[in-house]
Amino acid sequence: MALIQIAEPGESTTAHQHRLAVGIDLGTTNSLVASVRSGEVSTLPDSDGNHLLPSIVHYAETDVHVGLSAQQYSVSDPLNTIISVKRLMGHGVEDVSIEDAHYSYVFAESESSVPKIKTRSGDVSAVQVSAEILKTLKKRAIETLGDEFEGAVITVPAYFDDAQRQATKDAAKLANIKVLRLLNEPTAAAVAYGLDTGNEGIIAVYDLGGGTFDISILRLNKGIFEVLATGGNSSLGGDDFDYEISQWIIAQSGITNADEPAVKRLLMQQARIAKESLAEKNSVEISINTDADSWLGTLDREQLTELLTPLVKKTLMSCRRALRDAEVENESINEVVMVGGSTRTLIVREMVAEFFECQPLTSINPDTVVATGAALQADVLVGNKPDDEMLLLDVIPLSLGIETMGGLVEKVIHRNTAIPVAKAQDFTTYKDGQTAMAVHVLQGDRELVTDCRSLARFELRGFPPQVAGAARIRVTFQVDADGLLIVSAREENSGVEASVDVKPSYGLSDNEIENMLRDSMEHAEDDMHARSLREQQVEADRVLEALDSALATDGEQLLSQQELDQIKTVQQVLVDVKNDADIAKIEQSIKQLEKACEDYVARRMNSNIKSAMQGHLIEEYSSDAMSKEEES
Amino acid sequence: MSKDILNSNFFELFELPVSYAVDLDQVRQQYMELQKQVHPDKFANASDQEKRLSMQQTSWVNEAQTTLKSPVLRATYLLKLKGIDFNLENETTMDAAFLMQQLEMRERLENIKQESDPLAVLDVMAKEIKISTKEMMESFSACYESDQIDDARELIRKLQFMQKASNEINALTADIEDELL
Repeated sequence: MALIQIAEPGESTTAHQHRLAVGIDLGTTNSLVASVRSGEVSTLPDSDGNHLLPSIVHYAETDVHVGLSAQQYSVSDPLNTIISVKRLMGHGVEDVSIEDAHYSYVFAESESSVPKIKTRSGDVSAVQVSAEILKTLKKRAIETLGDEFEGAVITVPAYFDDAQRQATKDAAKLANIKVLRLLNEPTAAAVAYGLDTGNEGIIAVYDLGGGTFDISILRLNKGIFEVLATGGNSSLGGDDFDYEISQWIIAQSGITNADEPAVKRLLMQQARIAKESLAEKNSVEISINTDADSWLGTLDREQLTELLTPLVKKTLMSCRRALRDAEVENESINEVVMVGGSTRTLIVREMVAEFFECQPLTSINPDTVVATGAALQADVLVGNKPDDEMLLLDVIPLSLGIETMGGLVEKVIHRNTAIPVAKAQDFTTYKDGQTAMAVHVLQGDRELVTDCRSLARFELRGFPPQVAGAARIRVTFQVDADGLLIVSAREENSGVEASVDVKPSYGLSDNEIENMLRDSMEHAEDDMHARSLREQQVEADRVLEALDSALATDGEQLLSQQELDQIKTVQQVLVDVKNDADIAKIEQSIKQLEKACEDYVARRMNSNIKSAMQGHLIEEYSSDAMSKEEES
Repeated sequence: MSKDILNSNFFELFELPVSYAVDLDQVRQQYMELQKQVHPDKFANASDQEKRLSMQQTSWVNEAQTTLKSPVLRATYLLKLKGIDFNLENETTMDAAFLMQQLEMRERLENIKQESDPLAVLDVMAKEIKISTKEMMESFSACYESDQIDDARELIRKLQFMQKASNEINALTADIEDELL
């Protein structure tokens, strides 16, 4: 509870202490962690000095390897070495067949709505695999920073839908990382770019990673990063380039065993190496040696261009739509910033330059810029820069709607609406005496239910029977700053309420998450207890400090003596219990104190907004303060 | 008095006179000022209550901005402030000539791909719509100011048609451009 920190410099009762926070880029191909230390932002290396962590997880006989140590098993032990798992995040069992063709996973039969990959250590979901990557980054950060960090900003493709975002958050939960915010990757890149160059105006961020593509159009102005529109494709990236090349190799070579998992991986690997070499050279030799066949061939730039052009065109279609949604003409774009490893591919640069009619900016490191931007926001969110002007205003990438009669989707929130956003929609019953109603929530921009993504179904039950059309059911869609949806429904005549967190259709249920957490925590329970206790104590201190500082600023102006005494009594309770080892008690006391302060907080918020909105005339303030004094 | 965001109407919130003509620059500037005060990122370390309040306030500010910027939503909102319940979905114009015009336009759009240069045709249509939208907006403003509510209502119904047509033209243009790419 920070009670809005508006203390003047030097007046604060809290010693200014640097809080540790990190930014995490959880990528399809590589992942990174970055942090701001002594005012400088940098990505954090492992003990060997590597900054990039390959997003590869190998399930060995006895333990789990992540990163470079897992990479070596990619071809030799493909079924137990999970690559590009990000592409499975938030996906259902029925939409993984393409990914299967690319990467050769074996999926387990499962009761869950979430596909599980078979490994020798049991069946694992994409969320669990991602959590392994996050745990590795977390460990690296703690080692480098020398202490636990308070929280992380984790980046996601701007085009990720609700299920994919939720899956990412679940992975963080499983890795025991507190998520300060899910941040869209192109927005993170814009932050790093904007703060680095000091440039303002309208920019386009073209972000082509290993498995995802985003285009965001942003307006940069005085520390505010306003996303005007975003578009993309959450299953299009460098992996698809590699796949096209591998298919070409198969056609050229006549390799017969291309269906074997190890051969698939080998082909993808060789394709990637060839693609990367062609950024430097005009042609490259490819040699494939499998148990059954071997082949030696040449791939040149011209052939590569032919193979990749249709894919790059797809990205440009998204660019055009984003420009249109942003109501921005091509000429108004001041800069096109290239992000993501796949923008190193020459044909991408050429086609983007032609499309935007300008030379895109390729001088910033496309691998690290997203993590850097995330770390910068984490530093602000954790409270290290109370006076910072930086503010990120983002949008929802895909429309949200509900199923109506005839399998149609009625849009409730349109794509590229600024978030957070809330929209209410009224429905009625179509049968006499109807006492329940089902709501099917979908995400996507198409008209038909079958063309959109099912997010969740929920039922509103128990409203009193009325004649058809008399009930008034108000469904409220609230999208938070992470782009996650919370739906609530209420029958207005009876007040019957139902609330759901949108999670199901393709997400892990709370139970599943809990079980996974329990499994992974089994041996670390004592640690957990100690940590939770410390967290609660830190939280208690923070609440107490914030309250003291707030009361010192305006407690007497905004509260009557009686109200003040009441708050102080509850405050004392927290002071008394916070050094006991009883987590629940501390937590409860914090809650009670927060409850006791509810009105006060609301008053502060309003008076804070009022003074901020009234322009900053010093005379006004002082005369105001004086009249207050005279009164009292 | 303190500025209670959730109980301010959109015009008060953006410090604008209650009128159909709005200064879009003012909307933008005020939007940024409000965001700086209420955005959830400013409350990342705050209590759950403050976080919730911040989310609600920011949602309200965002809705206000969307409403003030949109010709149809802004018009509807003005009527609502006058206590006139106007549900866009249930309203439709009965002006036969206008409806006929709309029908013809629909047909033209349906067969657009048979035109020799569909993009050029769409471009012309978009411009025509823009001009008539502007005229309707001016008429609405006049009707609203002189309290001719029935006429104002009718204009909103027509403006809504124009907006839908404009959306459709945009979508078709995007489709055709994609095919050409």
